[in-house]
Amino acid sequence: MRVVIMGCGRVGAAVATRLSDEGHTVTVLDTDGFAFSRLPSRFTGTCLIGSGTDDRKLEEAGIRRADAFVALASGDNRNILAAQKAKHMFGVQIAVSRVKDPYRSELFDQLGLRTFSPTKVGAELAYDSLFASP
Amino acid sequence: MYIIVVGGGMVGYGLALELQAMPGHEVTIVEREGGRAGQLREELGEMVVHGDGTEIAFLESVGASRADLVIAVTADDGANLVTCQVAKHWFHVGRAIARVNDPRNEELFHRLGVDSTISATRAVMAQIEATLPEHTVVPLLRLEGSGLRVVNLRLQDGAPAAGRAIKDLVLPRQTLISLIIRSDGALEVPAGESVLRVGDEVIAVIPDDAEDEMRMLITGTPSDASAL
Repeated sequence: MRVVIMGCGRVGAAVATRLSDEGHTVTVLDTDGFAFSRLPSRFTGTCLIGSGTDDRKLEEAGIRRADAFVALASGDNRNILAAQKAKHMFGVQIAVSRVKDPYRSELFDQLGLRTFSPTKVGAELAYDSLFASP
Repeated sequence: MYIIVVGGGMVGYGLALELQAMPGHEVTIVEREGGRAGQLREELGEMVVHGDGTEIAFLESVGASRADLVIAVTADDGANLVTCQVAKHWFHVGRAIARVNDPRNEELFHRLGVDSTISATRAVMAQIEATLPEHTVVPLLRLEGSGLRVVNLRLQDGAPAAGRAIKDLVLPRQTLISLIIRSDGALEVPAGESVLRVGDEVIAVIPDDAEDEMRMLITGTPSDASAL
């Protein structure tokens, strides 16, 4: 699978590494070149400095041939914009977006993105840990 | 009418002043940055609210579900798009308008349900095109929802329409030539017999997809690129 990932923070780097290890073709975008140092030396994908909301950068990242786009930058709105661009402008089948705000996550899931809310998941995990049997 | 303006920069501030002067409207200005919100509040009073206009819970608290119009004018296209989509799809607001900072985002915004977009780049480009001697199709107004737009064209020498009566032209479907401005400035409401002459300006209502056809007919120029 050809995957374009926006954001090479801890989560972005971990997803990119895992996909690369599994043999997928990965391109990672980040506005800060330093972020790519989070990738291990065995990472076989491509790193591109630039914003995933920029059409030209997305094209350079091969968005038109991509099977999936994963938005993992820090801002919810930027992730939502980029993921909708990938899906509705460039015809990418699968567009995943991290959306911290649980309500916004729910809405954009209904609107065709595959979203997940780390806030919601985190709260559930914290609660479960609290009541876990010792 | 209840209007929510998201973004308290220069555009939002200017809008607030204009809207405040219009009687009968209730207006809320949303500004995310605390310092700026306080500053605006001192000048404009309680209409200014400090908060994130892309957050559903916050929009709920300022009464988004009873808003008639939501206008997103921040410098961040992602935020403007999300505000409008939340307004339309979560709160079912009748009309949502977004400022587009990157003009390439305009089409996407429309496709995703934003009723109307404002782009400074596009507005300036229209002015530039209007000053070119061989100006082509200058967009004046987009008639939202109908797929029509009002445009201005100047009749060029050698164009297919030059020297011909309107009734003899093959116009694109759904096209209406609404006004002729003769080269001496005289206005004419066109009739079938009206003959178009070189130098006339034509104001027409055309479907969005008829721009190339009209440009060819009135200016004799096949595409926008060759004019610029």
